[in-house]
Amino acid sequence: MSEAVKPIVLCRTALAIRRKFLRMHYEARSGHVGSGLSAIDLLTYLYSVWLRDNDHFILSKGHGASSLYATLHHFGKLSDAELATYYKDDTLLPAHPAPRGVVGIPAATGSLGHGLPIATGMAHSYKHLRGTDARVACLLSDGECNEGSTWEAALFAGHHRLSNLQVLVDANGIQGFGRTEDVLTLEPFAKKWQAFGFDVSECDGHDFGALHAALSQPSSGRPRCLIARTVKGKGISFMENTVDWHYWPINDEQYKQAVSELDQTESELLR
Amino acid sequence: MRVDFVKAVETVLARDADALFITGDLGFNALEGLVAKYGKRFINAGVAEQGMMGLAAGLALTGMRPWVYSIAPFATYRCMEQIRNDVCLHQLPVRIVGNGGGYTYGIMGSTHHALEDFAVLKALPNMRLFFPCANDHVAAAVAQMGELDGPSYLRLSVSAYNTDRAPLSENALTLTRSYAVRADPSKPGVTVIGAGHGVQVALRALAAHGLDRENVDVFGIARFPFSLTADSALLASVLETKNVVFIEEHYAAGGMGESMKLALPPLSAFSLMCASYHPDQHYGSAAFHMKQSQLTPEALLTLVQAQLRAP
Repeated sequence: MSEAVKPIVLCRTALAIRRKFLRMHYEARSGHVGSGLSAIDLLTYLYSVWLRDNDHFILSKGHGASSLYATLHHFGKLSDAELATYYKDDTLLPAHPAPRGVVGIPAATGSLGHGLPIATGMAHSYKHLRGTDARVACLLSDGECNEGSTWEAALFAGHHRLSNLQVLVDANGIQGFGRTEDVLTLEPFAKKWQAFGFDVSECDGHDFGALHAALSQPSSGRPRCLIARTVKGKGISFMENTVDWHYWPINDEQYKQAVSELDQTESELLR
Repeated sequence: MRVDFVKAVETVLARDADALFITGDLGFNALEGLVAKYGKRFINAGVAEQGMMGLAAGLALTGMRPWVYSIAPFATYRCMEQIRNDVCLHQLPVRIVGNGGGYTYGIMGSTHHALEDFAVLKALPNMRLFFPCANDHVAAAVAQMGELDGPSYLRLSVSAYNTDRAPLSENALTLTRSYAVRADPSKPGVTVIGAGHGVQVALRALAAHGLDRENVDVFGIARFPFSLTADSALLASVLETKNVVFIEEHYAAGGMGESMKLALPPLSAFSLMCASYHPDQHYGSAAFHMKQSQLTPEALLTLVQAQLRAP
């Protein structure tokens, strides 16, 4: 196993990104904390292992933008000065990704259901028109799978056998105003994607060994979908698995506790 | 216009290897030639306009220049947010083509009419609108769209009053056409301006209803945003007559008329002939709907005469 793929290395990277992410939200007093925390392990894996130089990533769940900014900064794709502008006037880093703002963010998102059609267009171009080996990864929220446009794109990707398209669903089970299973049932979720022509895998979205197994399979000639079972607010006990942390900003007390929990996790990792 | 469009877009596809054509499963008996000739550069995205517009944006992000085709209401309203977010905000060269502007699809019913497409699209940043006046006006619009780096929309239409009348001149930049000039510029006159195929009402009035005996200039405009400083003939006419009648197959709110009124210098009179909503919701041919909305050559003549003879 190469150094980059080792779970311990990936765990430490994800911890560093979580620290950065929490600091950004604490300083900016901005919300969407829980949605970012559920996606950070997936972003860590993508940027550490999966994405090659000519591959592209679309964050369809645009409300997770800050987790992407923190990840891009960790991997040297955003400068300190750029990251310092997050959520401030005159920034290129608003709460949802901006158009044409940042290299590494090809498309503005934030209205749900837009990312997969765009990613599908890119994948179709690379595979069937440009003839390159570029791949496209697209990260959706589970709530976003309420959107019809997501399934329009899934039909297209399946029909055109876009084997260079990797969908990841950050399935944290919570959406804007409730639990996904209470709002609109998605299950049997894997079967839905399979029925649309995808190779589907399902795993714990915070287990790097499982993520690596799911995301490094040889191509079968069909698009792929990983349903990553995640925990909203992952890594901070009092933020985990609640609708509230889709919205709240972090206060002083909470920030101190959150950082101490990350310290604790890190010391356990190193033990 | 559809036949002329297919011919024109084929020129673009032949010249530009990065251009491609996407249809929302429409174009029966019109697009078959493109399918045969362009293979992979012809995509049927299915009956899925939102997905289609996002797909077009994704293709454009890789350097392709897609033409996205459907009938006008389907190419605009369902996928309005994809046009706004994915295409316009990213300043992508996606060329949207809506067949059947205004009441073109008459008896097909209100779901098929496009009477708000300008309103919806003209508000969007970076969007440019093209609305040819006649079949032989389509190629010039397509050629201009093919050169743009940003988003555009082409409205293809057939007027119930289609009249085969050659323009006196056409501004190569703005595409504005002059169809008639005042017999006596020293006397009171009216400047009649039609947006796209809306001008056909005036052409029919000139040909068959005696509008040619009135002291009128008739222009057909075909682009938005306007370039009035480049439209010197139209601007000169308006400055002299201070009297405008504007015709369009579109609702008043958000149409080209209201934008034109704002863009023009102060006038003595500005009348708008446009589509109107009828709550009784009865349907018929395009001509039936035009009559319902008083969008007729007879109504135009009456309006022009009233403005000419106003105290």
